[in-house]
Amino acid sequence: MNEEPKEPARTGQGMDYGEQADVQQVHAAVQREKREPRVGAEPLSIWLIAIYGLAIFFGGAYLGRYSGNFIGGGLDPLGAPPPAKRAVAGPGGGEQAAELSPHDRGKKVFSANCQTCHQANGQGVAGQYPPLAGSEFTNGGSRRMGMIVLKGLQGPVTVKGQQYGTAVMQPWDKTLTDKQIADVMTYERSEWGNSASSVTPEQIAALRKELASHAESFTEHDILAAPDEDIPGGGAAPKPGEAAKPGAPPKPGEAPKP
Amino acid sequence: MKGLAPLFLGIFGTFAFSWVGLTVLPNWQIGHLNPQSDEEGTDIYPQPQSGMFERGARVYAANGCIYCHSQQVRADYAADDIERGWGNRRSAPRDYIFERPVFLGKMRMGQDIANIGARAPAEQASPAASGAAPATASSPATAAAASPATSPGSSPPAGAPSPGPKTGLASPSPAAANAMPGGATSASAGPQTAGPPWPIQTIGEPPMYSAAWHHVHLYSPRSINFDSNMPAYRFLYKKRRISDARSADALKLTGSDAPPEGWEVIPSYDAKCLVAYLMALNQSHPLKEAKSAGGAPPAAGSPAAPPSPAAAGSPAPAK
Amino acid sequence: MNATGIPLKEPSVSAAAGATEQLERAYIDASTRVPVLMFYTSAMAWLILGTLLAGFVSFKLHAPDLLSNISFLTWGRMRPAHMNVMVYGWASMAGIGTAIWLMARLCRTVLRYPLLLVAAAGFWNLGVLLGVGGIVLGDSTGYQWLEFPGYAAIILFVAYTLVASWAVLMFRYRRGEQIYITQWYLLGAFLWFPWLYAAGQLMLFVVPVQGVLQSAVGWWYANNLLFLWFGAIALGTAYYMIPKVIGRPVYSYHLATIGFWSYALFSSWTGMQRLVDGPFPAWMITASIAAVILTMIPVATVGLNHHMTMQGYFPLMRYSPTLRFTVFGAMSYTVFSVVGLLISLRSVARYVSFTQASIAYSHLGLYAFFTMTIFGAMYYIVPRLIGREWRYASLIKLHFWASAYGIGLMTLMLLAGGFLQGADMENPTLPFSETVETVLPYLRGRSLAGILLTVSHFIFAYHFGLMLLGLGRTSTVPTFLNPVEAEEASGGH
Repeated sequence: MNEEPKEPARTGQGMDYGEQADVQQVHAAVQREKREPRVGAEPLSIWLIAIYGLAIFFGGAYLGRYSGNFIGGGLDPLGAPPPAKRAVAGPGGGEQAAELSPHDRGKKVFSANCQTCHQANGQGVAGQYPPLAGSEFTNGGSRRMGMIVLKGLQGPVTVKGQQYGTAVMQPWDKTLTDKQIADVMTYERSEWGNSASSVTPEQIAALRKELASHAESFTEHDILAAPDEDIPGGGAAPKPGEAAKPGAPPKPGEAPKP
Repeated sequence: MKGLAPLFLGIFGTFAFSWVGLTVLPNWQIGHLNPQSDEEGTDIYPQPQSGMFERGARVYAANGCIYCHSQQVRADYAADDIERGWGNRRSAPRDYIFERPVFLGKMRMGQDIANIGARAPAEQASPAASGAAPATASSPATAAAASPATSPGSSPPAGAPSPGPKTGLASPSPAAANAMPGGATSASAGPQTAGPPWPIQTIGEPPMYSAAWHHVHLYSPRSINFDSNMPAYRFLYKKRRISDARSADALKLTGSDAPPEGWEVIPSYDAKCLVAYLMALNQSHPLKEAKSAGGAPPAAGSPAAPPSPAAAGSPAPAK
Repeated sequence: MNATGIPLKEPSVSAAAGATEQLERAYIDASTRVPVLMFYTSAMAWLILGTLLAGFVSFKLHAPDLLSNISFLTWGRMRPAHMNVMVYGWASMAGIGTAIWLMARLCRTVLRYPLLLVAAAGFWNLGVLLGVGGIVLGDSTGYQWLEFPGYAAIILFVAYTLVASWAVLMFRYRRGEQIYITQWYLLGAFLWFPWLYAAGQLMLFVVPVQGVLQSAVGWWYANNLLFLWFGAIALGTAYYMIPKVIGRPVYSYHLATIGFWSYALFSSWTGMQRLVDGPFPAWMITASIAAVILTMIPVATVGLNHHMTMQGYFPLMRYSPTLRFTVFGAMSYTVFSVVGLLISLRSVARYVSFTQASIAYSHLGLYAFFTMTIFGAMYYIVPRLIGREWRYASLIKLHFWASAYGIGLMTLMLLAGGFLQGADMENPTLPFSETVETVLPYLRGRSLAGILLTVSHFIFAYHFGLMLLGLGRTSTVPTFLNPVEAEEASGGH
């Protein structure tokens, strides 16, 4: 091929690439090039395999350790154990997107609706609002308590030996749902030293049906006329004093609070 | 490699694997979140914003604020964002569901501003969007601006004008947890040693993180903080002659920034929208999935003085 | 002119190529001339603009009142303008230009349908121009790495489809049975980029995902762009240039295979580590961090492959600018990956998140790794297109050292400054302005590095301009090689 440098007539002005590339003018750069690259076939080094192993091990370990259970709500990499286990361990706010327990939901309902009168500590206000802590109505059967919550109470009432009567308790059947009433009753029946059975929404629904024809609020007389029993139906946990069944949902009065 | 087919398959497959794993899967998990509401369907958080907020977000995007400011609060086990007073809890995906574009940010040449609206003085705190937030969140600011020595636990019910009983009662325990020692760390916007506000500021006026403050800060960052390297956004403002009376919007500028006698500096509509956007940045509303001020579950159950107006000084229920 | 009729001669055993092969290559080079030079020239112009913007942006960080108060010069617009000019203007176009030449050479066929590429270059330039103009005038979308407003993005996409169609057609006409390593990487790059770009645009703008997922998609896009587009082109280029220049085969096919597939598999899963501790499900972040750990596999593999190929030939770097830049780039790939691993681990990320350290990481990838490798490729390719050698050896050396020191200094300054900034941020007793105070001297150091890089790029642009004007050296030996040594060195360079 052409070994000579380019013709001296080419002064270097103007651009090269308008012209037709002349076969004879294969420029020196292409000439001196080596062949196009090829690939050898050396085997893998054992050290490299060791590095692979280390990388896979550490990568996998990291993935397993810090993945917050792979759920969408797992914002914390050292995520808490999966929600199913935690519900049994006790009520508590969900660190992940787990549901609140009836107790905690009830507390919210209580704070939003009942607290103004019965106070956050359940002590009520002397002469005006009866206490819930230690009250025979709160600790007794859920029927009487349910009647009061659903339909309200007017007139004088004696609680824990004290008389109250200046205030009227409004009915909550139109404002709160069955679930809310059940939750708030569950909360009240397990708070402030109370330990009574929890209440389910099904029970409240049943009670509501029973009382559907009863338009006005109750008086103490009406309440005391009703049997002091738990509302039948619903999967209420056994009252305190009875052995808790293994695997039963936690009784609010017994499960330790966080 | 001899075959073209395996090459193509592999090229396609590896990419599809990544695409599915990192965008499609998370989209299934957190791509269709609804705002949180309580049982009555009230106290919805977050709420979509519109109007000036949206336009303000566009101004924010157009001027590249995201390249210096972040809008995410990290959990306390990960970093000290909460200790710095940038929020009372970590940010969660639900906080951002109505934002477009999302300005999480990757850089902090300037402060994190996820809760800058929450740090505004009480009167200017953002309204319903944050529900319980203003009452409790403004307490840090008022406590800070007024007297750092005020115990945060007692000031919220007394000092902050709560937008209504709903805010105090709707979510008592997390909100109360805000006001509690857990919130004390955010209330002081930092530990008691340094005390807010750190940046050197003209004496109290305008109050820190108020709308007027934002305007001055945007117009002349170094008049508020001498060490700041934030650019000045004077092109968002107009200088004009005072007609009959000083405009209510006029910036309170001092020193060399102040316009000459008879002139005033007023914000353009874009500036107002930007500040409206900033004032609405508030993530202090409690979220179930993000614990307030402390990552451990006990925060939910911690006893607190309920911010109930009717509470006749009743102590917290024993727990 | 049609070269397909030339019969193939069996490759000879010697290192020097046979005459027919030379002829074939000459034809191929000639056919690639216009498209490749169009892309290269555009890329150089964008490089200069991007470098000027970079200096401006860097200085403004420690001198914020510099030319402030003008809306289109505000830092928040200049910074994305710089980034987009560099990413879509310089890097993408230089990468495409290199890929065109490599594809033509490796497919061993002359470049067909050059008009497709000419049109693509024109559209791409238009897209970048409109996009950067849009950002400067206030139309930035607010998504990092995707700031181009829609009207520019669509033009880029159209330009790209032209390139992609060309690539598919070329591949169809290829000769030879084997698909060489470089072609795997280039094919990968050319196929991944449009899917990536389309996915990013779709999921962020057309059918937007909700909330924080936008950030996740944005960083998935940015990271995959860095690895599957730029990284793939750079690695493919290195796999061609290194064995080509020294005349020896690549060390091991097995390593190359493992390297390619592990690279594709693991690098594409990184990206979320940039969002560590953010409002995301932890598994996403952790998966990316685990993927970063696993990318040590391709890093070690590719690194070993190149190293063993080069073994005993490192002295040749004295004589070949291509080799210098390419080896620098290939080594930087290792450094970049290791730095990436270190700053991703949660315990370290706590201190470097939200600091300048992530800027250091980005620049290590885009400059030290990608840009330096492409510089090396340009030093190899341009003489073959122009028919001249580079004119001044001194300018080449200056370019190399200014770039090397520039990026080295910049990385050091930003990493150190970033760590200190993060440490201060993690100390809640310090007011926030302290963190800014701490990092400021390092930002000034970075500006100094920026000056070095600016000098380097202007030198290269000048040198390239000389070549374009046909003012290169007419000579049979390359610019670097001492003519006396050319006699002694057997098989020369």
